[in-house]
Amino acid sequence: MLWLALILPQLPLQVFARGSAEPGLLTVTEGAPGRRICAASPQARALGVKRGQRLASALAVAPALQLRERNPELEEATLKEVADWAGAYTPQLSFCPPDGLLLEIGASLRLFGGESSLRESLLAGLAALGLHAVAATAPTPLAARWLARAGRGGAPLPPDWRGMLDELPLAVLLDGSDVAGHNLELLAGIGARTLGDIRRLPRAGLARRDAAAVTHTLALAYGETPDLRSAYQPPPRFEHRLVMPSPTIAVEPLLFAARRLFASLSGWLAARQAAADHCRLVLMHEHGEDTVVDIVTGAPSRDQDRLGLLARERLAALSLPEPVVELRLHADAPSPLAPRSDDLFGDPGTARESARLLVDRLRARLGEDSVRQLRPLAEHRPERAWGTEPPADAPRAERGMPPLPTQQRPLWLLPQARRLQPQGKAADATPGEGFRLLSGPERIESGWWDEAGIRRDYYQALDAQGARCWLYRELDPPCDWYLHGYFA
Amino acid sequence: MGLALARSASANPTVDVAGRLATGLVWQASRMARGSGPVRPTGFAALDAELPGGGWPASALIELLVAQPGCGELGLLLPLLRQTPDDRWLAWIAPPFIPYAPALAAAGVPLSRLLLITPSSAGEILWATRQAVASAACAAVLCWPQRADTAALRRLQLAAEESATPLFLFRPENAARQSSPASLRLALSPAGKHLRVDILKRRGPPTAAPLLLPLRGDDLAVPPSDVMARPDPAPAALAGLCSR
Repeated sequence: MLWLALILPQLPLQVFARGSAEPGLLTVTEGAPGRRICAASPQARALGVKRGQRLASALAVAPALQLRERNPELEEATLKEVADWAGAYTPQLSFCPPDGLLLEIGASLRLFGGESSLRESLLAGLAALGLHAVAATAPTPLAARWLARAGRGGAPLPPDWRGMLDELPLAVLLDGSDVAGHNLELLAGIGARTLGDIRRLPRAGLARRDAAAVTHTLALAYGETPDLRSAYQPPPRFEHRLVMPSPTIAVEPLLFAARRLFASLSGWLAARQAAADHCRLVLMHEHGEDTVVDIVTGAPSRDQDRLGLLARERLAALSLPEPVVELRLHADAPSPLAPRSDDLFGDPGTARESARLLVDRLRARLGEDSVRQLRPLAEHRPERAWGTEPPADAPRAERGMPPLPTQQRPLWLLPQARRLQPQGKAADATPGEGFRLLSGPERIESGWWDEAGIRRDYYQALDAQGARCWLYRELDPPCDWYLHGYFA
Repeated sequence: MGLALARSASANPTVDVAGRLATGLVWQASRMARGSGPVRPTGFAALDAELPGGGWPASALIELLVAQPGCGELGLLLPLLRQTPDDRWLAWIAPPFIPYAPALAAAGVPLSRLLLITPSSAGEILWATRQAVASAACAAVLCWPQRADTAALRRLQLAAEESATPLFLFRPENAARQSSPASLRLALSPAGKHLRVDILKRRGPPTAAPLLLPLRGDDLAVPPSDVMARPDPAPAALAGLCSR
């Protein structure tokens, strides 16, 4: 067993700040009477705002602070989002409230190329979610967490990791255990400064002085007693939210924030070895109705860049009634996606993938009805012998066709046949306007069973400029001539 | 190098100086450009002979100036359209009429790869065209823009070059007056059972005579008052101005 502890030390601030690249003077406060500063952005800290400071003194040094009330619910939700996302790295993970996760990575080392590259990949992935984390690995959960807390996680774990634990200060005992404050006061009173000092004290004596919790916690941390953790079960639906640092209607900030959520959706899907073909981005406003943006990818995908591209087109076409304060991303019904294996000689799937992406982008911006495919229909009436259908996922080989007309048909059909000025009278009239008939007639008489029956004689003709056209003449009075297409 | 060439030229006046220049580095206006990238045969031997490289340039903007819609512009491209590979789209953006599915299918155009895109505004047409070209997912892009200024054409030309996608822009005849970054400009006009093609601009010397390409369905008898007798639609002076 090898445990990796992730701690998000700036979580109270980052749940608000992750929606933008530059948090500005964002500051989080807590405590009901006498509010105090709980976390502050680097820019605010540079002005002299400190953690634990009274709000009044903070406002005195930096009057322009952008204040937010600490939101433990949002912190927990964000931690859940990280847990959903981290499922891509290991199926064995558990919560360690209020700000941490524990990942059992023993089985994932080989896939990710070793401990340090796995850690780097995790931290880089978290940065894409807009979160800063510290990590450490150790054979027991508590040891990993304590080492991460103490900032000792940078290097690979030495064989005498217990020696590293011995050097940690007493205060770490409070983290993630049942040890109470008065236990530590007692230990500090008898001169213990580090965990190593406590381990050298006689156990029986500690137990008599009401410090059994301390010995038990140490046994867990040093691997002398098994530490059982309940595994986190990711939910079947992806549903996470992100609070905008400041309300906005501009597309780019919204897209930036949405990309954070797409990154975690991508991790959630990767954990399930699945892909989604649609997701729903809900833009929440302070007062009015939410704006719902459905993002349809056409084919199942878990590519966050692709979702970002599609969202950009949708957001650009949107007119928002008022500023957006919060984003929510929902996805469900993921479909299994077999990972594509790499090919030695180029990637045959790439062309297909880019063909699919093109259709998705066009549909996202122009609308479903503006991107169609054509197909012939088995029908004698020329204007009904064709139809459109939504495009396939990707170009494909030709399918079977209905029987095609045996006579030549024009490549261009006019959406509405144009009536010509005839020359001569009634039944003997010629089309006029300089048209000269080349061949015909081809009689098409069909559709008597419905409203749109036709009785026509079709001719090929040359118009005055010399282009080959398709004309017809109604057989029923008034026997008008019409231009219906060009052979082109 | 220049010196050496000059000396050899003076020693032997008949030596072909141009022939000694590295191919592709110097292009003489009286010769056809070579090696400017892959080409696709047009399916018309007479036209292939007049185009640099012997076919449609595979990564370029090609302007087809159409005297009148329906004069045979689709017939000219049919041989190319028939050869769409299985995994590529064939994008038709904002065509002026309905591309008639039964006729296209009968002519061998793969309808399952034909993507009909009908944007609602002139700006969206250019946007969609650029997306289609830049995606490199199309074997050919056919576009009927409502308006296209030089900057837009330049962007399309660059996109076509980068993605190696031939882009055919169908524009009205009067667009010949506008300068264009297209590497190939052809004016198309009807001529009875033929299609008349005037090469307005190519990477090569100006052409003297228009080409007459046979279109399908030429078994039809053309009435005696032949349309060939009508006045010349594209004056030679115009062609000369635009061929730079």
